Amino acid sequence: MTVRALAWTLFLWLGMTGLACLAVFRSFALRSDASTTRIVASVWAQGQMIARAVLANAAERAPALDSALASHAGANLVYESVVGEGPVITRPMVALSVSLVPGRDGLEVTLDGRTEYLTPDDLLARQAYDRGINIAALGLTAGLDADLALALLAERFQTSVSGLLERAELRRFRVARSLPLAPAARTITAETMTEDDVRSGAIAAGRFLARGVDGEGRFRYLVDAPTNRTLAGYDWPRHAGATYFLAQTAGLVDDAKVNWATLRAASLLRDHAMVECGNNPCIGSDRVVDVGSTALAIIAFAEIATSKLDPGYALVVPGLTAFLRTQQRSDGEFMHEYDRNEGHPVDVQFLYYSGEAVLALSRAHSLLHDPRDLEAASRGLAHLVGPGWSFFGSRYYFGEEHWTCQATDDLWDRAPNAQALDFCLRWQAFGRKLQYEAGETPFDAEGAYGLGPLVTPRLTPVGSRSEAGIATLHAARRAGSPGGDVSKLEQQMRRSLALLLRRQFHPGLRHLLAEPDAVEGAMPASEVDWQLRIDYAQHTGSALVRWLRLQQP
Amino acid sequence: MPRMLTRAAAIVFGVGNLIAAALLVLGVFVALPARWWPVDAVAAGLTGLEFISGVALLADVRVARRLTAVAAAAALALGTGVVTTLALTASWLAGVYGPVGRGGALILVLVSALTLPYFVVWPAIQLAWTRLGRDS
Repeated sequence: MTVRALAWTLFLWLGMTGLACLAVFRSFALRSDASTTRIVASVWAQGQMIARAVLANAAERAPALDSALASHAGANLVYESVVGEGPVITRPMVALSVSLVPGRDGLEVTLDGRTEYLTPDDLLARQAYDRGINIAALGLTAGLDADLALALLAERFQTSVSGLLERAELRRFRVARSLPLAPAARTITAETMTEDDVRSGAIAAGRFLARGVDGEGRFRYLVDAPTNRTLAGYDWPRHAGATYFLAQTAGLVDDAKVNWATLRAASLLRDHAMVECGNNPCIGSDRVVDVGSTALAIIAFAEIATSKLDPGYALVVPGLTAFLRTQQRSDGEFMHEYDRNEGHPVDVQFLYYSGEAVLALSRAHSLLHDPRDLEAASRGLAHLVGPGWSFFGSRYYFGEEHWTCQATDDLWDRAPNAQALDFCLRWQAFGRKLQYEAGETPFDAEGAYGLGPLVTPRLTPVGSRSEAGIATLHAARRAGSPGGDVSKLEQQMRRSLALLLRRQFHPGLRHLLAEPDAVEGAMPASEVDWQLRIDYAQHTGSALVRWLRLQQP
Repeated sequence: MPRMLTRAAAIVFGVGNLIAAALLVLGVFVALPARWWPVDAVAAGLTGLEFISGVALLADVRVARRLTAVAAAAALALGTGVVTTLALTASWLAGVYGPVGRGGALILVLVSALTLPYFVVWPAIQLAWTRLGRDS
């Protein structure tokens, strides 16, 4: 081959690739015309679909739907109007998994002249989205659980999955959901969000957590929202964090149930989870305990004592802060574990714990004025934003710093650290670059953070980064930071808080929940992942409380 | 073509092929989190070709140009295949999901930018060079 022929071949390849890309894009994009217009109308009661009919338009009536509505008190009629459809790839399974936009797309299957619709509501009720591909290295799951979806369809056709794949035609369809018999819900945006919205959201999140505290003081740690089942697992740092937020809620609303739940959860920490770590008390139950549990317990106890819910909790704090101080190295960093059998700290570092320890020491100093706590907190913060995050490229990449920036704000009036404030402002500016704007993804994601459409935006980082962002805003205002930075950060926070309030189960898609009242106020992991862990409500709730405090003169 | 220029070019291409071999090892056998034999086998084969042709060019052995042409042709075939697959996948995702967001678009551009120079442009230049050398 001559050089000229090589150049022409490459040129031709570029052109052919471009044309092929266009053809693929057009083939798989949703098609929307008169032939795709129809409504999949369903009646749902207590999270179960009890009747379905496909209507040509909203004026059409189906006796099966009317009968189901009449025979089930509290049943909901839901229209999933088909607004477009397109082909799907069924092999390999991973292609089918990512062929549906979570929460928006369903599968239309035709076999032997009969068509069945597996709608987004069917898939949400079975929690089939974001369960398909597990990327363990990144801690992410994405895509449709195609095995579950195909099994549900095979059951409807009374055939096998392999038979379905061999003989049926599968297409995806996009829906717009509406509840024709329900009053129109108000959509909260950054522009329309009010202080009342924020207050109601915070109280609802607190009450959700409070309802889950049992007689012993344990939370319902992880709940499957559609079925209201409690799932396995427990974690002391998250228990302490949730207790902290309950105490914040108790300061927001006079609710005896919230107060009692807070004190039960706190007493479990104090009376059952407190053990000896050498000469000091600490929180944990295993041979090796972490500093995060102790740090968050201090934050919770300080909040309870400050809010006068039970000032006696201040008495427990000095021993716990002494433990944290013994875990601190001379350079300000913390050793994150303590081996109780061998009686010495273990010098390892994990995500979050150093920031939690700094905030805990700062809060303890506010409460009890022990100068050793302030000195330790200041040294810890200086390390976190200095040598602890100093490497080539550190100005272009950040970890999760939500506790660090809350500590920066907390210390500002007593030990201001301008480097820490600059660090937090840069972290938030980095976040703004990753924050979705309206219409940038197929999801309701304005205010969320993410890097592409495949992974449904997670709401917990939105909550935790909002806690930190509002704290940074508070410190920046007091520091007299440039108005442009402050204004951008405020708008960033408004977008995030509005998203959290929109996605909170308040009321949410109640028709898909077996017991909607039980999960009222909860925060899901994402728009389509409805497992409810206690820290999801905590981070969102604490962010909302911070916003309310920021509005106070 | 002057002998000095040809020798200097051979050294540049030799070092380049060794770097390409190292990048393949790093990208496939270190960075990828799981092993899958089709990818591993192709990567191992191409790594071997790039390494052998790199060493041959630096050692100025008689078959160096021919080995380089084979390695470059293999790399070009693989590179164009990978870029085509990435581009079609991106088009498919854009069709399914609609907007991919600034972050998603940036990742796609960066992946293409990382693949094109090493596995399309570089082997194409090498093929041209081996051709020009034969023509002279």
